[in-house]
Order: sequence, then C-alpha cells, then structure tokens
Amino acid sequence: MQLLDRSFDVSTTPVAGATLSLEAIRGVEQFLFREARLLDERKFAEWLALWTEDGRYWVPRFHDQANPFEQISLFWEDKMLREVRVRRVENARNWSQQPLTRSAHLVGNITIEGLDAAGHLIVRSTLQLTEWRIDQRQLAGAVFHKLAATEDGGWKIVLKRVNLVNCDDVFANLEVFI
Amino acid sequence: MSLTTEALAAMVREDSVHKHVYTDPEIFALEMERIYGQAWIYVGHESQVKKTGDYHTTRIGDQDVIMVRAADGKVHVVYNRCPHKGAKVVPDGDGCTGKFFRCPYHAWTFKLDGSHLSLPLKNGLEGTCYDPANPDFSMKAVARVDSYRGFVFASQSAEGPDLLTFLGGVASSIDNLCERSPVGEVEVAGGTFRVMQKSNWKVFYENLHDTMHARVTHESSFVAAREEAKEIGEMPFELLIMDGNGEPYEFWEKLELRAYHNGHGYMEAIFDPAAATRDPVSREHFAVLTEAYGEEKARQILGMNRHNTIIYGSGSPHTVFQQFRVIRPVSVDRTMIEIQTFRLKGAPDAVFDRALTYANLINSPSSNVMPDDVEVYKRCQEGNQTRGGDWVSLHRYLGTDKETPDGMVSTNGTSELPMRNQFAAWKQYMLNPAKTPTQADKKEADRAAA
Repeated sequence: MQLLDRSFDVSTTPVAGATLSLEAIRGVEQFLFREARLLDERKFAEWLALWTEDGRYWVPRFHDQANPFEQISLFWEDKMLREVRVRRVENARNWSQQPLTRSAHLVGNITIEGLDAAGHLIVRSTLQLTEWRIDQRQLAGAVFHKLAATEDGGWKIVLKRVNLVNCDDVFANLEVFI
Repeated sequence: MSLTTEALAAMVREDSVHKHVYTDPEIFALEMERIYGQAWIYVGHESQVKKTGDYHTTRIGDQDVIMVRAADGKVHVVYNRCPHKGAKVVPDGDGCTGKFFRCPYHAWTFKLDGSHLSLPLKNGLEGTCYDPANPDFSMKAVARVDSYRGFVFASQSAEGPDLLTFLGGVASSIDNLCERSPVGEVEVAGGTFRVMQKSNWKVFYENLHDTMHARVTHESSFVAAREEAKEIGEMPFELLIMDGNGEPYEFWEKLELRAYHNGHGYMEAIFDPAAATRDPVSREHFAVLTEAYGEEKARQILGMNRHNTIIYGSGSPHTVFQQFRVIRPVSVDRTMIEIQTFRLKGAPDAVFDRALTYANLINSPSSNVMPDDVEVYKRCQEGNQTRGGDWVSLHRYLGTDKETPDGMVSTNGTSELPMRNQFAAWKQYMLNPAKTPTQADKKEADRAAA
C-alpha cells in the first residue's frame, strides 16, 4: 500500500539551499496561483495532472505532526485516492455536493525554503481559504509544496502539506481538496 | 407542548415514532435528564489518562466532565466546575493537572477525586460556612464510575443496574475488541477525530444498523471506488472499504441484526471463519493470536466479524477495525462524533496501520463515505420541521424478529429491529424518570416469575 510507504520523505525542512532566478521564482509563484485557481474553478482533472505519479497530499491532524504513519490525518492521499475523491464529488448522486462546495483560495507570503534530500524544491506559502456550501467557513494555514522540476521547465507536485491553524478543531465534512 | 407521560408514550408506536422526538428542544432537554442522566455513558478509555493527573474532558449528555487518573491509580469522573464561582477548572481537551486540580480563577485546589484540598488566605473565612469537609466546597464527582476492560463509563444516577448488567449482551463486542490483542488489552492511539453533524443524535444511531440505506446513500463513493478499481485493475483495501456499501439487497438481507436490552445491539458482517487467513495482515495477526490463545480460539476471535456495534447513549465500537465512534448530543439538531482508534497491544504493527487507514478513509472529516450520510441526516432534520407529515416509519419486518434469552434477533438483515429496539429503550427511559429500563425489566420479570 503506497499510503504506508514509510520511505516517502514527508519532511519539509530543507537540507540544502536553493538559488533561483527572479524569473524562476515568478514561475513557482504562478504555479501555486494556478494550482489554487484550478481548485476554485473545480477543474479537478487539470489539478490531478499537476502531480507526480507518487505525489502525496497531506493535511495533518496535529500541529507539528512528524508523519502520517503513526497518527491520523485530516487528509493523507496518494494518486489513487485523489482520483477517487474527484470521481465522488463529480458523481451525479453526490448528495452532499448539492449544492457544490465553492471556494476562494488566497495564496500569499510565498517563500523559497530550499531543497529536500532528493533535490525537490520546498516552497512555503500562507493560505486563506473561504469555502461555501450552505454555510460559509474559513480555513487558513501554512502550505508546504515540494516540487519536482519537469523537463519543459515547469513543476510537478511531490508533496502538498497543509498545516491548518485549526487542525485539532471539530470539523464539518471536508469534501474537496484544501 | 406539554410533555406528559401520556404524550411521551404516544410518540413511540410499535412501527413508527413521532417526528417531534428529533426536533423538539424540550424533548431533547428531557432526554438529557432521563437518558443521559441515568444510563451508563462511555466517558473514555483508561489509556487516555495513563499517569497521575492526566485528564481527558468530554460530555455526558449536556454535562462537561473530566476523566482523571488519581495517584492511587483509580480513574475518577468529576463535573468540570469549581464549587466557588463555577468556573471550568480545566480547559476542554487532554492534559495533565499534576497532583491536584487548581482553579485558574481564585486558586481553590482539589484532590484528583474532586474533594477539597485548600484555598488561599484563610483570613475572612472564620465564622463563615467554609468547611473543607462540606461537599459544597468540593468538585462534584459523577454519581457512579466503573470500567469494563479499560472502557470507562459513568452514570449520573446513584441508582440503577451495575455496568455489566446495563451492557448485557453487548459486552461481547468489547470482549472481542480486547481479545484481538494477544494480551487482551487495547489503548486509544493515533489521535481522535471530531466531526459535527447537523442532526439529532438518534438519527445516527438508527443509521448505524440501517442496511437499506447503504447502496442508495453511498452511491457516489462506491461507484467512485469501483470506477477507480476498474481503471487500475485491482481493488486494494482502500477501495474495498468504500466498495462494500454497493452490495446488492440480497447481501444485506442475509446479515444478522442483534438487539439487546437498553437499546444496544450489533450488526453482523458475514460470520467468516476464514477471515483469519484471508489477507497478509490477518494472517500475521492470526499467527500472533494462535500463539497466545491456541488456534481454535484465535479462529473464533478473528471470525467474529461484526460491523457496527451500538452501545445506546455512548456510541458505536467497530471491533474489526478497532474504532469507537462516540456520539455526543450537542443540541436537538447538533451531534458531535468523537472517533477513537485503538491499538491492540502486542498485535503486529500492520494491524494498527490498517486501523489508521480505515479511520482516515472512512471516519475522518475528509471521508469520501460519510458526507453523504451527514447530508441525509440533515435532510431528515429539516424535512421533519415541515408540516408534510408527523410520523417516521420503522416498520420493515415488524413482527418477524425472534426473541433470544438476552434480546431479539432479526430474521432478515433489512429488518428495522434495531430502530424499534432503540425506541423501546428510549420510551422506557423517558417514561421512568426515577428508574432505568433494566430495573423496570427486572421488576416486570419478577412479576412474571411470581
């Protein structure tokens, strides 16, 4: 089971610095903005295509959670589970998506943190997310992306970790990706 | 409306209940008194308070309580209220209070059983009613606390059946959960989810054994799982646990539903003696249990393949994937679910990994399965506010359920026996403010015997 593969590096602490040109930094920022926009526009197929084959999406249940293997997580998903979530929310008989969840992601404070052991770029941002489905709710937190460079000069997501400010709160359902 | 005994009695018919039981705040308030004020309610597991001073806060009905470990190893349950000004002594959550409780307002202190320890500046107390021995100066303990195999329950009523009598046949689910550990012990591990539902607490209990909803309510998730499985050419565990809801009606009809006194019960998945050796995780688990208990007993333990168990008023243990969905009523239309996961002491790590995966995929707020449940519960809550009818039906397979020495059993897995059994208990609680159902049962049994 890919989810239990403890060799997957979930650390977001850089082991080396990264030197990027201003143009490259702009490219990273635009990538993050585009990722958020695809979620807001519910273009899930395009969003799924932003990931590497073994990319992981993680929303810890605890502050400073070391890994998703010893404790529960609000989300811990590989490619298969991301695809299942998209299939479910797009199913015609998705009673809990009538009406749909609507969202507005605001991504800011983007900083290039450095490189992980495999040379992936670690990027930190702050997220303000307004979600509406019958009720409105605010989600917020720090987001860590680990990005792999693609041959055409773009990026793919290896890890997206969202540290919610209220990860230990009582939640209504979290149906779509944060 | 006036809640006379007659009015309450008329709300529960043999095959239906009046919608007001879900929507009337007055009835909710009365439930807090007559059900949650009397029944044994699960407070937490002893493993949540390992060391002296460790505490875990939760609610018994509408009451904030603290479960705490005292120096002598005993677990106490006290109301979270300082007797001085009424402040909650500890904040909600888990923590360690040390050797005693200390109120953050005026530093009154209390021993870990709640009894008065001290307060600052004794000047000014002379000639007043202050008396450390007077219970009015202590944090009040909940009337009765007992523990079954580490599961701590409390009752706000000094009278009533003991815990084991109250649990009756449903204790077998706690036994099975514990026996899945080679040393017979479990501990809460990996963290607890808390999920809010916009519906009355009883709706969730009913749904736990509602086999007719699975393939309708959960169509979006089992279809998604099946589509994905087809695409990748296999049905791994993560998809399998979503796929199950899509079983045809004939599958559900064959299941057995057990109903015990006091509203408890369980829903059997298929009793499957081969479960022990079906997959690598179970095989490894089986080997460890065989060493501890012998092969026959190990096969029996893992073959006891129960789906949701119901301990009415407390929630729903799931023995096979080591979960306890604790159901906490918040208001007439709000219910909070605390989802605990257990580690089986001495069992292979892979068994805990599987329980965590199940918790993440099925029980977490981000579950692909639960949102459709939560949505239909809310629709029941809202639909029952309309003038479109007064009664909620529980009629399926009425009159066909069989009596057993300790309750009833369905003859068809789509029977609404569990709902009828829950409302029979509800009625007994609600009509007997001073008694608990088991006592009433006992008296009736004594009369019958005489």
